[in-house]
Amino acid sequence: MKNLELGRAQGVRTRMGVLCGTLALGLSLVLTGAYNIQVRDTDGWRALAEKQRLRRLHVTPKRGTVTDRNGTPLAVSVEVPSVSVDAIEMLRGIDEAYVPMRIEQYGERIAAALGLPVEDVVEKISRRRRFAWLKRRVTPDEVEAVRALGDPSERYPVRGLNVEGEGQRFYPQRELAANVLGFVDNDGQGREGIELSLNEELTGKREEIRGVRDRAGRLIFSEGVEDEAALAGHNVELTIDQNIQFIAERELGIAMKTHEAAGGSVIVLDPSTGEILAMASAPGFNPNDYGASEADGRRNRATADRFEPGSSMKVFSMATALAQKSVEPTTQIYCEEGHMPIDNVVIHDTHPAKWLSPTQILQVSSNIGMAKIALALGPRRLYEGFRRFGFGERSGVPVPYEASGVLRPRARDWVPVETASAAFGQGVSVTNLQLALALGAVANRGRLLEPVLVRKITDGTGVVLNETTTKVRRRVVSAETARLVGEMIASVTEGEGTGKEAAVPGFRVAGKTATAQKIDPATGRYNDTTYVASFVGFVPVDKPRLVISVVVDEPMAGTTAGGAVAAPVFRRVAEQTLRYLGVRPEGTQNAKLADVAAYADGQDPAKAAYQALDPRPASSAPAAVVPALGARGGGTQVRLPDLAGFPVRDAIQKALELELVPIVEGTGKLDSMDPPAGSLVPKGAKLTLIFEPPT
Amino acid sequence: MMRGGLAGRPRDHFDWPLFIAAALIAVLGVVNLYSATSVYLGTSRAALAEIYINQVYWLAIGGVAGAVVAAIDYRHIERFAYVIYTLGVFSLIVVAVLARDVRGAARWINIGSFSFQPSEFMKLCLVIAVAKYLHDDPRSEPRTLKDMAIPAVLVAVPTALVVRQPDLGTGIIMTLVFGAIVALTRMRRSSVLIFVVSMAVILPVAWQYALPYQRARLTSFLNPTADLTGIGYHAHHARVAIGNGGLLGQGFTQGMQNQYRFLPDQYSDFPFPVFAEEWGFVGSMVLIGLYAFLVLWSVRIAARARDRFGAVLAVGCGAVIFWHAIFNLGMAAGVLPVVGITLPLFSYGGSSVTTVLLAVALLMNVSMRRNATFSPVERL
Repeated sequence: MKNLELGRAQGVRTRMGVLCGTLALGLSLVLTGAYNIQVRDTDGWRALAEKQRLRRLHVTPKRGTVTDRNGTPLAVSVEVPSVSVDAIEMLRGIDEAYVPMRIEQYGERIAAALGLPVEDVVEKISRRRRFAWLKRRVTPDEVEAVRALGDPSERYPVRGLNVEGEGQRFYPQRELAANVLGFVDNDGQGREGIELSLNEELTGKREEIRGVRDRAGRLIFSEGVEDEAALAGHNVELTIDQNIQFIAERELGIAMKTHEAAGGSVIVLDPSTGEILAMASAPGFNPNDYGASEADGRRNRATADRFEPGSSMKVFSMATALAQKSVEPTTQIYCEEGHMPIDNVVIHDTHPAKWLSPTQILQVSSNIGMAKIALALGPRRLYEGFRRFGFGERSGVPVPYEASGVLRPRARDWVPVETASAAFGQGVSVTNLQLALALGAVANRGRLLEPVLVRKITDGTGVVLNETTTKVRRRVVSAETARLVGEMIASVTEGEGTGKEAAVPGFRVAGKTATAQKIDPATGRYNDTTYVASFVGFVPVDKPRLVISVVVDEPMAGTTAGGAVAAPVFRRVAEQTLRYLGVRPEGTQNAKLADVAAYADGQDPAKAAYQALDPRPASSAPAAVVPALGARGGGTQVRLPDLAGFPVRDAIQKALELELVPIVEGTGKLDSMDPPAGSLVPKGAKLTLIFEPPT
Repeated sequence: MMRGGLAGRPRDHFDWPLFIAAALIAVLGVVNLYSATSVYLGTSRAALAEIYINQVYWLAIGGVAGAVVAAIDYRHIERFAYVIYTLGVFSLIVVAVLARDVRGAARWINIGSFSFQPSEFMKLCLVIAVAKYLHDDPRSEPRTLKDMAIPAVLVAVPTALVVRQPDLGTGIIMTLVFGAIVALTRMRRSSVLIFVVSMAVILPVAWQYALPYQRARLTSFLNPTADLTGIGYHAHHARVAIGNGGLLGQGFTQGMQNQYRFLPDQYSDFPFPVFAEEWGFVGSMVLIGLYAFLVLWSVRIAARARDRFGAVLAVGCGAVIFWHAIFNLGMAAGVLPVVGITLPLFSYGGSSVTTVLLAVALLMNVSMRRNATFSPVERL
């Protein structure tokens, strides 16, 4: 009995030992698991945890605004919501067997909310990607419907739907300057125009930021995000003046309709600064709805299209010959009574004549007279002359697809007949912008300027990054030659000149008509039905304020001559623009832009002073206006406040409010002033503001 | 030899170590629950941030019920063992008939706004019934499989009902609790052998009949990173959080994986990863140590029990706590498959908390009415 008891006791103890051992073993197994994860492999798991929480985001900053020279917005970006789906999140935790069913259910509900085809939505979810656009640019109603689907208090909320703002480009002036501006596609990339050529500036820094996200992919906080404004795209201020652009486009449009033309362009240029005040191109398009337009209508014809200029080239041939002294202004040239054979070609004049002076050659547009002058000049010098005027090279304005034009198609010296025809604009091709700039050189006393289309680029915080100043590309001809040529072509619009339609009442206009036959692409020969009618001129002759170049492609209805088609456009654009700029008719004192603005808006001396500071090289000192302001302003002295730390714009504003003339140096925040803060200065005095970029 | 005698009054035998271990776990559990759900503050699910208060209520209710259960001599419980068992099975049948759908499984009985999960309580009813049967069968020679047929049926009936819900986890626990009781029972060697062989046959067959989601959970356990966003997701995120804790942890309410809501079910099935992330391996050791103590202490209580009913009851209650802990911690640590099993006194839930407290109370009951001397021979 005792032994039995002992044996049983032994058995019980053994079993208890085994049981306790098993329990302990189980728990130590768990403990080992915890040890492995938490101590041995903790680095790997921590890295994984961090990877889960951190997400790299590409922040697409707001695209910069494009304005005209007065700050009128031409292209702005607005946030428009778009809906995307995170299919992984949507289907997370759903048993694989039920996934197809769920996709079908979710797809139907989403499709109903967004008005999309069910199969498209189902297909997008079925791809099971972390990101897919469902619908871009949705309406507020649709946003609400999507939000309702994802509402967690719903019985069956749909997860993984995201609504986020996406920048959409909006062009408040619709078609205005559309061919200059271009447009932005759905992915935010500029296509055509300034939007394309300055895409990088406008886009801004596409910054990669690290954000912490939770399981739902929501951003909880982000590390190292810079100021949103600093990331934003840069703002571009064009030299275009909205009002002049409107005038140019309207008048071009009327001419297009009247003459049933295929296309056309108008450039309005300030010859003293090289600033392009208007650049119209027809047909145009509405960049807000670019999809509805033909690709043909989105081209900027003023820079992208090259054409044979015809007679307007005579201006530059003549200027070159005069500069090279191969012809004197008084030389009489025999014009063969309208027929002159060169090599195997006969050159014709529309107004047959015997003896003509250079002025008369331009006035009646004699091909023969011009040919003779050019032959005397020689092919080399004529070609060099054209090159000096800027033909055959891109002007460098920031527009895409600028054509350079072709002077010597066969890349060899001209033979005599080519020299003769090049002199009156046949066998060479130019762009309208080249034409305007070259005539600008004539108007600007022989100096060819860099064309300016972008006046200023500022970053999102208002700091000026780049301000374009007037630059002389080269001296083309002497001031006297330029003046002489200007006087010569002034005769074109006077009396019975070919360009009399371009005459602007009260102003003397210098210019040249051209009616160039087009080469029929089918035959490779000039034909008698298609022409390019153009007129390029400047006004007023003595102190040129505007260069206007009008090109009308293939006018069909009525007359096709440049004098009848393009010259009236010049006149109407010039008339309205001069009036808009407040240029007084000649004979009275010419008013400067700034002066006019000052007197027109006398209530706001600050604005007047600002405009008087306009950097255009005015012949009369703008400073003359400023002291007058001081006299008008009541008190004569002001005490300078401390403006340290002010951004450029605010500091200038402040200085102007005090009726001081701010002189800006550097960019960024105001560092110091000369004279220093606290000093007493007379109104109208200069105040030098020195800015330092923030460190 | 003193037999069935009680040295002094039960109150003098109050089992402080048992009480302190259980209380410590409960306190840690509430603190952890607060941290786990604090992420919901200020969100549309802010109500979840309040559940730790409910947990305190449940602990209070369970504590009072436990005090009553501990106070009544377990011999009275023994008398009503089969009644208790029948009530448990009946409530499971009620669930099967009219339970409402909660997350793909019908496990709840709703009485007004109050709902309880009979399968939780059933584990204890089961232990009581088996203990009663073994107690009433006073033989001392080794048992055969045939001798264990009736206890096996007692276990099989509720297990089948629970698995049908479907709640595989609870079914497994019931079976394993029975296994622990059997392990302490004197069995014939040949019977043990036959049992092992038959299990080797039955398990593959059971696999064939398992539901898809049950199978998927087991396969994902074998290859946890195969589908991170599907079934393996839970286990994977649990391990990421635990690993993120490191040796010393991230500090109270500082667990990033939890705070950023990468942890699913952090207040029900996965409170341990929250705890492990915040308190590190040191914290894990303390918690696992507390469970280990509780379990081994219950074997000690069984060894000193006054009679066979008490001994089996103690082992059964200890086994319930052990298997819960081992499965929950094991699935979180990735050493066992994901089955929805709660962590005793850590997971949120009235039924779970009350059941564990009642198990502790039964242990206390047996412990307070133990023999003065250690003589397990006669009982088992």
